[in-house]
Amino acid sequence: MGKVMLEVRDLKTKYVTRMKEDVYSVDGVSLTIEEGKSLGVAGESGCGKSTLALSLMGYYFAPLHYMSGDIIVDGQNISGMEPDYIRKHILGSEIAYIPQAAMNALNPTQKIIKFINNVIHVHDPSMSKGDIYDMARERFEKLGLPENVLQKHAVELSGGMKQRTVIAISTILSPKVLIADEPSSALDVTSQKMVIKMMKQLMHEGLVKSMIFITHELPLLYQVTDDIMVMYAGQIVEKGTAHEMVFDPIMPYTKGLMGSIIVPEDGMKANKLEAIPGTPPNLKHPPAGCRFAPRCKYATPECMVYAPPVKKPAPGREYRCLFEEKYLKELYANG
Amino acid sequence: MKGYIKYYGGRIAWYVVTFFCALILNFILPRLMPGNPIATIVSNATAGMTDASAIKQIQEQYIQRFGLDKSYFQQFWLYVGNLLKGDMGTSFSQYPRTVSNIIGSSVLWTLGLQLPAIIVGWCLGNFLGCIAAYIRKGFDKVVMPVFMFISNMPAFGMATILLWLFAIQLKIAPSGGGYGFDMVPNMSWAFIQSVLSHWILPFCSVVLITIGGQAIGMRSMSIYELNADYVKYSRFLGIKDSKIITYVFRNAMLPQVTGLAMSFGTMLSGNIIAEQVFSYPGVGSALLSSVTGRDYPLLSGCTLIITVMVLIANLVIEILYGFIDPRVKANQMES
Repeated sequence: MGKVMLEVRDLKTKYVTRMKEDVYSVDGVSLTIEEGKSLGVAGESGCGKSTLALSLMGYYFAPLHYMSGDIIVDGQNISGMEPDYIRKHILGSEIAYIPQAAMNALNPTQKIIKFINNVIHVHDPSMSKGDIYDMARERFEKLGLPENVLQKHAVELSGGMKQRTVIAISTILSPKVLIADEPSSALDVTSQKMVIKMMKQLMHEGLVKSMIFITHELPLLYQVTDDIMVMYAGQIVEKGTAHEMVFDPIMPYTKGLMGSIIVPEDGMKANKLEAIPGTPPNLKHPPAGCRFAPRCKYATPECMVYAPPVKKPAPGREYRCLFEEKYLKELYANG
Repeated sequence: MKGYIKYYGGRIAWYVVTFFCALILNFILPRLMPGNPIATIVSNATAGMTDASAIKQIQEQYIQRFGLDKSYFQQFWLYVGNLLKGDMGTSFSQYPRTVSNIIGSSVLWTLGLQLPAIIVGWCLGNFLGCIAAYIRKGFDKVVMPVFMFISNMPAFGMATILLWLFAIQLKIAPSGGGYGFDMVPNMSWAFIQSVLSHWILPFCSVVLITIGGQAIGMRSMSIYELNADYVKYSRFLGIKDSKIITYVFRNAMLPQVTGLAMSFGTMLSGNIIAEQVFSYPGVGSALLSSVTGRDYPLLSGCTLIITVMVLIANLVIEILYGFIDPRVKANQMES
């Protein structure tokens, strides 16, 4: 077992709306990532994936608020730290973030190299501009980005190039944890492939020690990450290795998500394309019982009342359902 | 670079066309005003005379001297010909002073008042607007309504209030004029002191109004920019707020630069009302007296100067924009 890079214990965060209502967007998430491993997070829109990404960095600003739980980065518990300390010593250097909208993530009136200067200067004020330039050029070359990108403004770059530049900037300080929030979602397939290749290269060469990859595209996760966890209504509903999750889902929601993959992996071709009816619940007032129950076709009256416990059938595997694995499998087999 | 030259070549050609249109309008419009332009001169010259035919003769002499008996078309060519020789004509109402002489003696007063006032008001307004957007909360709630009130106050209102408060009630500043009426313009310390004490009230009236308008515009631009993705991304890379606010300031300021250039352009006509209230000997006063006196040459001269200033300000801002905003630069290079 490798060194644990990121451990999260029962993390809870909430949004406070303008009307002063609480929305429990991340509700008791626990996860562990070892060195050299990557974790995929899947789920529908609005299930709390992006909020989880923001919550994991330990730096909160309105409307997102921290409630409880621990975030431990390489043995350092950051959840009790001062926000300013986190910003100066953790963000960018220990935990790095790739935002969902990388298209607008770069200041339009600033040269890329100047931005890199600012980023590095915060964490290491001793580096000269020349050193930073050399470092940036070396890293850009390694990741297959042309050197002249450094001298350009963000407006002069194409969408795919912008995204790859953002990835290169985020990881320039070789962070221990990289949180990538849908880094490839807005791109065409060719650019997507390049981005994925780059992410894999970063992991492979150890430029980032561990990675959390958030997306709604399950086939992508299967290709990129070691483990996958599925989120629903702010909670983790199932976790396992990528292979287990795709070919042997336990919880009905995961089963439904896999059923809605358009391009089936080998062995899944027999499955008919199926959509999950309904939409995720409103998290201002989460349902009392199982949060998925109102949309679940196997739900019983008990599901509406009792919150399902987290069950751990095997190490590293967990799911959240009232029913036993065996019973669920029987249900699936009978259609 | 070639695209650049082509772009500005086209722009300058348009500016020349605009200038000629404005020149024609500047010439024609005053002459469409009803009333006798030389009534004042004639009545001055014939004071005490009773012989009707002699008065008529004198009047005709003046009409001939000013070329008012010729057609508009001929007058216009005369005017353009004189302009090319640097002669803007002789004033009717302040005969025999030349237009260049009148404008020359008033232009420094206006520039000395408006230029510092606009620059100070613009800088302070933008700074305060950006700070208000960043801090929000209490500062914003107090400062913004005040600015809203000030910027919506008519210029004469502001000038009158200042005049009443500081000159009449508190008696800490003189109530009007460019310098003490008992003084002769020279470079003595006493004279400069007198000029400054007469300058401060009109200066403040312009500054306050400029601050209000600029702060409101800057505040909304800054709030928009503060919510931009690049601000969030920069935060998550650990960059300090003090640095991020410089990005925001720069981007939010771009539209404000246009406003600054426009106020430079209209500076000379600028504050006719403030000059009037404070009896300041600037271009505004000259312009107003030329209107009441049907003084065609002076009126055309004043509007000509204003036209040229506006056009130059526009051109300069367009060139400047290419340097400060890479997005505009990219546009200019393409065309």
